Amino acid sequence: MSLLCLMEDVRKSFPMGEGSVEVLKGIDLAVERGEIVAIMGVSGSGKSTLMNLVGCLDVPTSGRYLFADREVLGLVDDELSELRNAHIGFVFQSFYLLPYATVLENVLLPSLYRESAKDNARERAVELLRLIGLGERLHFRPNRLSGGEQQRVAICRALMNDPELLLADEPTGQLDSRTAAEIMNLLVMMNQRGKTVIVVTHDPAIAAYAKRIIRIKDGIIVDGQAD
Amino acid sequence: MDRLINILSQSLQAVVALKIRTFFCTLSIAIGISAVTIIVAATEGAYQKAFEIVETFGPDSIFVVGGSEKSRAVTQRQKTLTLADAAAIRSAFATAYLVVPMTTVQDVIVSYKGNRYSAPIVGTTSDYSRSWSWPVVEGSDFTDDDLRRLANVALLGNETMKQLFGEENPVGKTILIRKIPVQVVGVLLERGSAQGGGNMDNRVIMPLSTVMKKLQNEAKYVAFIRVRFEDQENLDRHLEELKAFLRRQHRLPDGEPDDFQIFSPKDIIKFLVALTGSLIAFVGIVGIISLMVAGFVLANLFHLSIRERTGEIGIRRSVGAKRRDILFQFLGEALIITTAGGLCGFLMGVAAARLLQHVEAFPIRFSWKAFAIGLFLSWLVGIVFGLRPASRAAHLEPIEAIRG
Repeated sequence: MSLLCLMEDVRKSFPMGEGSVEVLKGIDLAVERGEIVAIMGVSGSGKSTLMNLVGCLDVPTSGRYLFADREVLGLVDDELSELRNAHIGFVFQSFYLLPYATVLENVLLPSLYRESAKDNARERAVELLRLIGLGERLHFRPNRLSGGEQQRVAICRALMNDPELLLADEPTGQLDSRTAAEIMNLLVMMNQRGKTVIVVTHDPAIAAYAKRIIRIKDGIIVDGQAD
Repeated sequence: MDRLINILSQSLQAVVALKIRTFFCTLSIAIGISAVTIIVAATEGAYQKAFEIVETFGPDSIFVVGGSEKSRAVTQRQKTLTLADAAAIRSAFATAYLVVPMTTVQDVIVSYKGNRYSAPIVGTTSDYSRSWSWPVVEGSDFTDDDLRRLANVALLGNETMKQLFGEENPVGKTILIRKIPVQVVGVLLERGSAQGGGNMDNRVIMPLSTVMKKLQNEAKYVAFIRVRFEDQENLDRHLEELKAFLRRQHRLPDGEPDDFQIFSPKDIIKFLVALTGSLIAFVGIVGIISLMVAGFVLANLFHLSIRERTGEIGIRRSVGAKRRDILFQFLGEALIITTAGGLCGFLMGVAAARLLQHVEAFPIRFSWKAFAIGLFLSWLVGIVFGLRPASRAAHLEPIEAIRG
């Protein structure tokens, strides 16, 4: 197996008042292709900041971050966008479906921003929605779906551009435990189909679905760093 | 290109979905654009009207009216112009190819069989039809011989002809003018309304000598002299020369005001522009203010909308939208809305102009120009006032947007 993510001594500080506050204080992290990993930590531990860096939503202040064989540190905003578009699918706690678009249109969203247009986007979106059992609701608006269904639509959207990495940030935070289990099983299924999955959570029950748990505390990885 | 089309289709979808925002923005733009449409149409209408009037008046002609500017209306002024003035002008100005002295008698009862009609009688030389570029459609103009003989002959305006004769052919018939029998020799082409809105078609045209002698008992004075010049380009110079010439002719000492007034095609344009100008100024200010207001309404509603849609912006950015994709999306929304506003505004302008024309016969002309200017201005408002909110949306950091 090859490495998808490799962080070496990654630090991230944010300006605050006159000076700045360091949130990540030297992270070393390696995630192999095909892994399913949980990043755990309490709020304020730096896990959200870490997830933003892993997902190329933000860049480190210092250190090295190789993602899909590219150094992320020097990339400009447009390059980060392209990287996310092609390689990363996001699943968020609060779904973030466009309320005025249909289920199908929501799933198609990442295909609109592709560098090279592929003509089979629609078919792929329909296929994904069928796979997760929403094939009958292509033209529904999100507000007619339950929370679990909405999150499944969000997962289809994340898979739309066939990314290498599925990055889920508290994906079950707004769901009851039964629905949460369904969503986690879906993510495990995607992992079995070859996707690398990283789940960020504070919930041990959710983290338990992962093969490996990385614990972060006060900006440092305290456990599960490398096997 | 595909990408831009994708993004603009997202704009369109949002415009359709966010109906309240779209409605208020469109409405406010439409109000401004309708005002602009009226202005452009009124300006064009005024210019077209001015052009038509100058054509009718004769672009190469000067009209001299007796009496000073201060004393009363044109038709009631004291007479200061004479037949001798006309003759003198004819010999003094080499390029004056027509010098036509004229006089009028208002409200004369003209009758034929049982029909009676009150018409102004115009006395003129035989060049009347030519001097006004006003063709005789039936019969013929009277002649120099008629003038010498003080012949009782007349040309009828179209309206007068209809009033007196109905369907009957008037040529060769005898009508009574103040109980004097007069033979109709011709009928003038229907002219429609003249400058100032008056109707010229009710006139009866007779030889000047006949009118002066038999209707006015006048030997010397005429009311107007019309002069047409071959060299139209020198009209301004001729106007000055003619003024000086008439002052000498009337022996007016320096400091004494003119006892006549000279009109040229320019004066007509000036009059019309002044008339139109006040409306244009009023509607123009209203238009600019309402477009500004529309712009601020748009900017504010967009700022609010973007605040509500940070989540949307965040998810778009995280799935790979670049800053400029977001910028184009929101700018696209603004432009779609302002275009719709522009189109509605144009239609509202057309409707409002119709109403305006009911209130007063105001020259209004709609053309592609009114449409294009309205559309251009609505795009300008969209870009100028949409750019800031759109750029703010584009510069939201994805992590901020998603957290928000």
